[in-house]
Amino acid sequence: MKASIEWLKEYSDIDVDCEKLGDILTMTGSKVEEIIEKGKDIKNVVVGKILKIEKHPDADKLVVTKVDVGTEKIQIVTGAKNIKENDVIPVAKDGAELPGGKKIVRSPLRGVDSCGMMCSVGELGLDIKDYKDQIEDGIMILPSSYEKYLGKDIVDVLNLREDIIDFEITPNRPDCLSIEGLGREVAASLNKKFKDPRKNLNEEKVENKKELEGLKVDITAPDLCYRYVARIVKDVKIGPSPEWLVRRLKACGVRSINNIVDITNYVMLELGQPMHAFDINSIEGKHITVRRAKNGEKITTLDGIERELDEENLVISDQKKPVAIAGVMGGENSEIEDNTTTVVFESAVFYGGNVRKTAKKVGLRTESSSRYEKGLSAENAERAANRAVELVEMLGVGKAVEGKIDVYPTKQKINKIKFDVDRINSLVGINLSKKEMVDILEKLDIKVEEDYVIAPYFRMDLEFVADIAEEIARFYGYDKLDTTLIKAEATLGIRNKEQKIEKKIENLLVDNGLSEIYTYGFVGEKDLEKSKIREELIKNAIEISNPLSDEYKLMRPTTVPSMMQILALNNNRKNTNVKLFDISRSYRNIDSEVEKGEIPLQENILTIGMYGEDSDFYTLKGLIENVLEASNVNRYDIVKESKNSSYHPGRCANIKVGIDIIATIGEVHPEVLINYDINKRCYLAEVNISKIVKYSKANKKYEEVAKFPAVERDIAIVVDEDIQVGDIEKVIMKKAKRLLKGKKELEEIKLFDIYRDKKLGEGKKSIAYSLIFRDKQKSLSDDEVNPVMEEIIKELEEKFEAILRK
Amino acid sequence: MKEEIKKIKENSIKEMEKCKDLKTLNDVRVKYLGKKGELTLVLRGMGKLSPEERPIIGSLVNEVRDELNSLLEKKEKELEHEELERKLATENIDVTEPSKKIVLGSKHPITQVIEEVEEIFLGMGYEIADGPEVEKSIYNFDKLNTPPDHPARDIQDTFYITDDILLRSQTSPVQARVMEEKKPPIKIICPGAVYRSDSVDATHSPVFHQIEGLVVDKNVSMTDLKGTLEMFAKKCLGENTKIRFRPHHFPFTEPSAEADVSCFVCGGKGCKVCKGEGWIELLGCGMVHPNVFKNCGIDPEIYSGFAFGFGVERIAMAKFGIEDMRLLFENDVRFLKQF
Repeated sequence: MKASIEWLKEYSDIDVDCEKLGDILTMTGSKVEEIIEKGKDIKNVVVGKILKIEKHPDADKLVVTKVDVGTEKIQIVTGAKNIKENDVIPVAKDGAELPGGKKIVRSPLRGVDSCGMMCSVGELGLDIKDYKDQIEDGIMILPSSYEKYLGKDIVDVLNLREDIIDFEITPNRPDCLSIEGLGREVAASLNKKFKDPRKNLNEEKVENKKELEGLKVDITAPDLCYRYVARIVKDVKIGPSPEWLVRRLKACGVRSINNIVDITNYVMLELGQPMHAFDINSIEGKHITVRRAKNGEKITTLDGIERELDEENLVISDQKKPVAIAGVMGGENSEIEDNTTTVVFESAVFYGGNVRKTAKKVGLRTESSSRYEKGLSAENAERAANRAVELVEMLGVGKAVEGKIDVYPTKQKINKIKFDVDRINSLVGINLSKKEMVDILEKLDIKVEEDYVIAPYFRMDLEFVADIAEEIARFYGYDKLDTTLIKAEATLGIRNKEQKIEKKIENLLVDNGLSEIYTYGFVGEKDLEKSKIREELIKNAIEISNPLSDEYKLMRPTTVPSMMQILALNNNRKNTNVKLFDISRSYRNIDSEVEKGEIPLQENILTIGMYGEDSDFYTLKGLIENVLEASNVNRYDIVKESKNSSYHPGRCANIKVGIDIIATIGEVHPEVLINYDINKRCYLAEVNISKIVKYSKANKKYEEVAKFPAVERDIAIVVDEDIQVGDIEKVIMKKAKRLLKGKKELEEIKLFDIYRDKKLGEGKKSIAYSLIFRDKQKSLSDDEVNPVMEEIIKELEEKFEAILRK
Repeated sequence: MKEEIKKIKENSIKEMEKCKDLKTLNDVRVKYLGKKGELTLVLRGMGKLSPEERPIIGSLVNEVRDELNSLLEKKEKELEHEELERKLATENIDVTEPSKKIVLGSKHPITQVIEEVEEIFLGMGYEIADGPEVEKSIYNFDKLNTPPDHPARDIQDTFYITDDILLRSQTSPVQARVMEEKKPPIKIICPGAVYRSDSVDATHSPVFHQIEGLVVDKNVSMTDLKGTLEMFAKKCLGENTKIRFRPHHFPFTEPSAEADVSCFVCGGKGCKVCKGEGWIELLGCGMVHPNVFKNCGIDPEIYSGFAFGFGVERIAMAKFGIEDMRLLFENDVRFLKQF
């Protein structure tokens, strides 16, 4: 909301400069967005008179002039065509400054000294539209009567000085979208008396009539239209507005159109109530109905665009057609024309939520709709109508018709709030007396009646003690509030189990050379295809109804595409040895929860992606084993997986606890690599953090360190290539466990060599193990170990057709 | 005989002194103290002596032998030390040659800021809370005193899945969930990703991160909020940081404030980061609105509380001097490794 200081001064004395005022109001809640000091950027430009014009000796297009600037007569060289002797013009003297930072200095032009510059409208930073008798590319010619101002500052002569502050008004304060509301804040903030110049409007009693000049008004949607006040002026002479009014509108950023339209805008700016003016003759049947639009009903608004409406929109209508979209914009069909003589002023209050919806639907956000949508006071509507009529008479452009039409089906509720001084003090953390609080509230026109605060009609935002506390705090001064610390029960600040595990994993991965990435939770359908995500997962993807673009359309059902994108970017930029991780979510709509209005499954996933020299399946596997160990997940199986389409079918594994898959690791499928234009093998791991947390068991107990020596036996066997070492180890373990009694055990199986050679036979491999046996109570003898070894070998021969190498 | 012993002693000491290595020293030991060594032979020849002389000479020999032994031992240590010195001299390495190590990775700047903030609030007794990102609109809006027709619910700001399910546009729904589940005293912070329908550019991203704070207890006041945030600002941004409250409006707090901190880049003198103002707008905050309490089953007549929330990216960018937000989500490893 832009406000000129000049206008605000009608409401409050202002004895500080613009900047200071801005600072003070920012600290009381009306934040300054911009301070505009018009005329401040024009310096040393005065009124001058051209005494003589002569040809330039060396340039055909230039002339040499002698100009009287009051204190002296100076020589100016110019190329201007529209000047003649005795013209009164603005002159920028040596050392002058013009808008845009231009500086004028004395200098020769083609060898002839020029001591200044005559200015055009544009050079003074003025709008040519406001000076219709001037030309754009010539010198501004002032009326000859201005000769009396010779040598006077042009800023004063043309009255260009204007200080304007643009305030950011928060949505709870629509009353401050008016000069009156801001004026009240200014007076309170500066501790001045609020002058209340429009007080008469509250006291004026205008008789209510059923019919005015034959006009009737009905409201058929009282839920959307709370009040409709109409007043009429006749014998209207449409014409331009006086300069002071045009100037005030302009300071607020509103262009002058004609006196009647200007009055409606002026009242809106002054009192915050949007107004509309109709030509009474355009109302067919002289009967206005405020009703819901019919589906598909059309209206051409004042901006010349046809708009289609539906029954959620509210219109002002005559007996045949809509004449305005309520609260948004009037229709072309009822516009004020130059020959209009009888004008209806509409001052209505609509339900804000509906105006907002309608404005959004028709794509029109106007000064009017943006005020309505915040919720306006119905009590203010009558004041505004009266003010418009008052202005018409004041300007002498029409005659008021006695009485008003006032349809007021939904009375504004006036809030009464318990005035709980202790509560306010404790909420804010201050210690004011009731008297001190009352003083603050009275500055804001808020009355206290015994134990209640009565919210004034224009302060619909005041509902609770907390709202009153804010008013008190604002004018006590937020900057004066103490800084204290909570005096409350001690609380424990610790990370929970999941958070601890996450931190541990992050630290472990960083220590192992991985860098953390941050990715967006959304992906496009193409990304899922490129990563060859399984159909059953794609079905679980959640679709955003208003996405930014196709690439950001789905909430990812897996983090794989996000990681692949980042690997691809790094590969594309020729970054070598890339190792990345990310802990973030995947989102799955499994049993149509979303359609049922429920929250879908959102799991925290650790994703690892890597490529480069020191990356391969087993490095990744080791990393994940360490992650599991650090998270105290001790029992799990690593099981080959060949059906996960994002991964290499021969180089992928699931990590399972029972049948529950807690992680998938592997090499990225070559087709996926091609889709991402990556020319090297990449490795991926997806680890479900929630499941890690579920299986994490941190009940460690001390076990006696072995005192007796171990017996180590090496064996090497030849088996078929497709036999997995994991299976062999399981068999050995199982057998040993069955054979060894008491405190004897097979403590460890160490695989120390895998060897392939033609001599072993096609499709064969040799695997060498060290088996470490120990008895915790005594030294083990060969006699105890030998038969066990024999049995194990026999089992391996039977189960895997293994051949013992001697 | 005494003369003889004296001579043996002198000779052996002389020879000992000449020794340059352990081997020759050992030779000296054998020559004088060995089984057939000169001093040993003297002892053996004692039989020829008179009984009166025997103990005298005997003790003399023992005396000399002990002395020699201790001298030998001393010399031996010296030589050993010299030998080690010579060996070490051959084992010089160039300590400036490259090391062998696992090159450390790095935590993302966003995580680093979140972690720092978490540590500060954990230290003040806050817990860390978490909630869904795909959230019900009643938690994102209704319970937070933002009814269906409120401008904040405009479709252009929020991503919707259905009318009832959306991508949370703020971390505040976690507040509502915690208040429903727990009884006061509540002291939490909730960091996390939030979603707003902004196109990607140097200062905008459709996904960014917020940290939300909430305290609910009896007699919590606005000055407590100011004190808490001042403490936080000093710990996070430097001990000289000042905090400034300005009145503002949020639907879920009343009274509400915006908090500025003195610019932590220039110290308040005015620079590019603070646009010459000396202050940086840091966060929005206020006292929990009574409607929010009611919506979440807490009696506003008994309890009061404060809440605050701020964007992580903005702090990370200012702190690390990152000028383009896109860098944070691009994840070029050359960028990541700098933190």
